[in-house]
Amino acid sequence: MDSPQGVWWKPAGRAEKLWVGIAFGWCLVLFAMMPLWHLKGKQNTTGIRSRVEPAAFQKRTIEFIQQYQIGNEQGIPVVEPPPGSDVYLLARMWSWVPILKLQKGAQYTLHLSSIDLNHGFNLHPMNINLQVVPDYDYALRIVPGEAGDLRIVCNEFCGIGHHAMIGKLIVVDESEQTVTYGGGER
Amino acid sequence: MSETFRTCPVTRFKVHSQADALIKANAVAATIFLIVGGIAALLVLLTRWQVVHILDPAWFYRMLTIHGMSMLIFFILFFEMAVLYFAGPVVLSSRVPAPRIGWLSFVVMVVGALMVEWAMWTGRADVMFSSYVPLKAHWSYYLGVILFAVGALTVVGLFFAALVVAKRERTYEGSVPLVTFGALTAAIIAVVTLGHGAAIYIPTFFWSLGLMHVDPAVYRLVFWGLGHSAQQINLGAMVALWYMLGALTVGAVVLNEKISRSAFVLYILFINMAAAHHLLVDPVAGPAWKVWNTSYAMYLAVLASMVHGFTIPAGIEVGQRLRGVTQGMFGWLRKAPWGDPGFSSLIFSIVIFGFVGGITGVTFGTEQINLIAHNTLRIPGHFHATVVGGTALAFMGATYYLIPLIFRKQVAFWSLAKIQPYVFAFGMLVFTMAMTFAGTFGVPRRHWDITFSNSSFDLQYSPAVDLVIGVMAIGGLIAALGGMMYILVTVWSVFFGRPFDLETIRAEGRT
Amino acid sequence: MALQMHGVPRGITHPPAPLPPGADHEHPKTTGTLVLVFVFLAAFAVYYFVNWKLLSLVWRIG
Repeated sequence: MDSPQGVWWKPAGRAEKLWVGIAFGWCLVLFAMMPLWHLKGKQNTTGIRSRVEPAAFQKRTIEFIQQYQIGNEQGIPVVEPPPGSDVYLLARMWSWVPILKLQKGAQYTLHLSSIDLNHGFNLHPMNINLQVVPDYDYALRIVPGEAGDLRIVCNEFCGIGHHAMIGKLIVVDESEQTVTYGGGER
Repeated sequence: MSETFRTCPVTRFKVHSQADALIKANAVAATIFLIVGGIAALLVLLTRWQVVHILDPAWFYRMLTIHGMSMLIFFILFFEMAVLYFAGPVVLSSRVPAPRIGWLSFVVMVVGALMVEWAMWTGRADVMFSSYVPLKAHWSYYLGVILFAVGALTVVGLFFAALVVAKRERTYEGSVPLVTFGALTAAIIAVVTLGHGAAIYIPTFFWSLGLMHVDPAVYRLVFWGLGHSAQQINLGAMVALWYMLGALTVGAVVLNEKISRSAFVLYILFINMAAAHHLLVDPVAGPAWKVWNTSYAMYLAVLASMVHGFTIPAGIEVGQRLRGVTQGMFGWLRKAPWGDPGFSSLIFSIVIFGFVGGITGVTFGTEQINLIAHNTLRIPGHFHATVVGGTALAFMGATYYLIPLIFRKQVAFWSLAKIQPYVFAFGMLVFTMAMTFAGTFGVPRRHWDITFSNSSFDLQYSPAVDLVIGVMAIGGLIAALGGMMYILVTVWSVFFGRPFDLETIRAEGRT
Repeated sequence: MALQMHGVPRGITHPPAPLPPGADHEHPKTTGTLVLVFVFLAAFAVYYFVNWKLLSLVWRIG
């Protein structure tokens, strides 16, 4: 509250210097972790980022569905693309299209975009979260780590039907050879 | 316009009548928006607590928008305008330059805020605080925000003018006090922030009229230059108030002006780029951009906060020890005036801001970790700890000094005022920790129904989530009770309080 | 003890005593604060690395 008089640019005390040094060191640790994870870690957000017109993305998604569709559930096509392929997931008010059926341990390139508003991709129960922005294609190489009947929750507000926007994603373990999809006609 | 000076009997500041009046007006406006935002908060909380689930979806999203705007923009910025008039003209014993402009800005801000409130309450702006394009609100919403920002920017300009006037008229000697220095950093950050606000809300306003296109990704980038940087104004103002409350309540010393002031400068230099952490899982920026902005830049601002987190308690410790409170390692803390709501607010604000808000914020703002945090309840858990448990609580503590020093009233319901920081801090601590923990299960933020009762596919969260959300709700209700106590005390003191006269009180021999 | 209806913070009625002259500003003792900030740093490090661990458990993505 008081005005310092004269020169206040004085050397700091020992404890203060010690703490500033330690805090700075900790900041360097924080800094190092991110590049390090790019080299050693298996979860990154880089992906392939590009612009896409909503109409073009919708067209690509429809072609993708026609190519690999195996059934329908709740009026949404169920699609089983081969491992290694590009897969498309389109967000719109208020659904995720299509329902993807993927194999555990195989790698896919997952393309995410929206044809209307911002949406949020939240994979349940793995808790992987990505922002889905119209006009942009976010393509991420993913490897499903466990089999199961999963859900995609929208976690970005997208209007009055936001809370009902939920999608489905199926991961099967091919090595077990037992999982068949009830709704599909193979 | 009447312009006189009085000398404050406690601080010996020469207080300009216009500074008094402008602080009062802005503080009252802040409290009104706190009440509006608080009611919305309670309704939102009681809806997310699925056991009660009080609102329908339309009103839930509307109330959430009202809660965000009323609290994060209107309440906080009106209060910060009061802080600027205090840290500038009052602390420097100077006059308010051009008080008419101060009143004009106040009116512009009120008009802007009312336009936004009108748009929200009439369902013309169910777009959330972030209003991501292409989600569209009525044009009056964007215009209201622009007016409010212009008014706030003018007050910031008046603050700079007050510094120049005080220097020229020699109302103080030496350098400006640290509290003013901190407010100055907040003001500089405000200029940058409101610049981003103009850069995004003006195009968006034209877009809402159908006159131009706004790119959704560009909107997110520039919006967060406003949306997050605005929180750094709070940060600067809050840390300045920490130093002030330390000095007023226990005579805390400033260990080293160089260190504390350099830390404030780090905020100005780096905090703006830290807004990049909102785009860590966006489909636009590459890893180099993300790492640069959120580490090189952000961590130097984090460093600044860690420095203040040391210098303020250390200043209290040294102040106490020099006055003879030297018992043991923590005697200075045990023997502190815990019955003074200014002091208890200060300590709880530092603890909640640092331990809950700070740690979670830095962790979630890490490029890859954001994958398991983005848009889950972990995010509001983090920023309620910083903005509510930290900033709002510090503002509350400062209010208990503002009422006698500026409003010149005694604090009403004094027994209530003394326990208010304890109730509020405890509630917020439970609320924020539970909310953050619920987000660890992937529970989304801004969501009306996490039981998904009307959805095409079922989804069941782990039973633990119900429990954690229940704890969150109870914490939130306790915090709301603390908030109501604060509003009761301040409103009653200001409008019906007994006048404060230091001599009489000392003569009466009461505390 | 009767409930106090009106009051003024201690910092105003009993302002902190002025610092004793000749107080040793140069070598202040801050052991208590140092302990507190190290507790903070430890909590920070634990939470930070627990989150890296949680992240490492989710699917391969990139």
